[in-house]
Amino acid sequence: MKLGHAEKVWLVLVGLTATGAWLAETGHAGWPLTFTVAGLIGFKGRLVIDHYMEMTRANTKIRRVLYAFVTIVPLLVILSHGWGDVLRRLTTIGT
Amino acid sequence: MNSASATDYAAPPAPTFDADSPERIPGNSGIWVGIFCVLVEFLLLFGVYFVARAHHPEAFLTGPDKLVTTAGVTITLLLLTSGYCMVKAVEAIRTDARGATLRWVLLAILLGCGYPIIKFFEIRWNVAHGIDGEAGIFYTTYYYLTLNHLVHVSWGLLGLMWVAVRTALGIYTSQDYSGLEAAAVYWHTTDVIWLVIFPFFYVFR
Repeated sequence: MKLGHAEKVWLVLVGLTATGAWLAETGHAGWPLTFTVAGLIGFKGRLVIDHYMEMTRANTKIRRVLYAFVTIVPLLVILSHGWGDVLRRLTTIGT
Repeated sequence: MNSASATDYAAPPAPTFDADSPERIPGNSGIWVGIFCVLVEFLLLFGVYFVARAHHPEAFLTGPDKLVTTAGVTITLLLLTSGYCMVKAVEAIRTDARGATLRWVLLAILLGCGYPIIKFFEIRWNVAHGIDGEAGIFYTTYYYLTLNHLVHVSWGLLGLMWVAVRTALGIYTSQDYSGLEAAAVYWHTTDVIWLVIFPFFYVFR
């Protein structure tokens, strides 16, 4: 049986979800987990945006907003892990 | 006072749906206003998550251990598969296969309804194990974001039900299926947001 494009994308997404499930049970806090989580968010998001929402052949402005969303969030994941103390200082009221 | 001719109020030309146009707007402009609002809303909520995490790193280090990973994974799979069904529904209507379109939309709804059901049992399990909204900052944030997402998924499900009725009535054609596609892109947006929420609470430490 030959798989269509949508089926292949769905299988990749399921495989990446299984990876996330495995990490949920075995992962330890640290840079490897942080980068993997950031990568999974960005890559899975792009798969849905490009292949489910067909953004590769849609309005450029809409595509850029969606791409920005799945780029900013992974960056925030990395920043929050490495520079959480900076964020804490910036968001502390009073002394 | 300007005089207006009848042609000034003539209906705009019927939209054409060239799926290969590089600048096309999937669905319609209105749904994208809503989607952008949802994205901004969740970016703000993610900001709350990151600030809470920065102030209480120990709570976010151990928090995921007490949640039921199977529930989060099942919701992810339900949403991704439901989204796949909507991809197939859009593909089907482009060939005027209305019966197949309706079957794919109904399957998408069926799978999507699994989300609130799983969530109900997950929350019941949580509460039975002392994990309620006052169990700590991690769980407060978890309920805040996941229940908010559930509200948006519920709107999406209502939209899909509306689309199913209109599909059954034969309203969509290969030349005009913007309503169907609008519901599909909104539904995929809830997917994208859940793909962030799932690792935030079940994986990231």
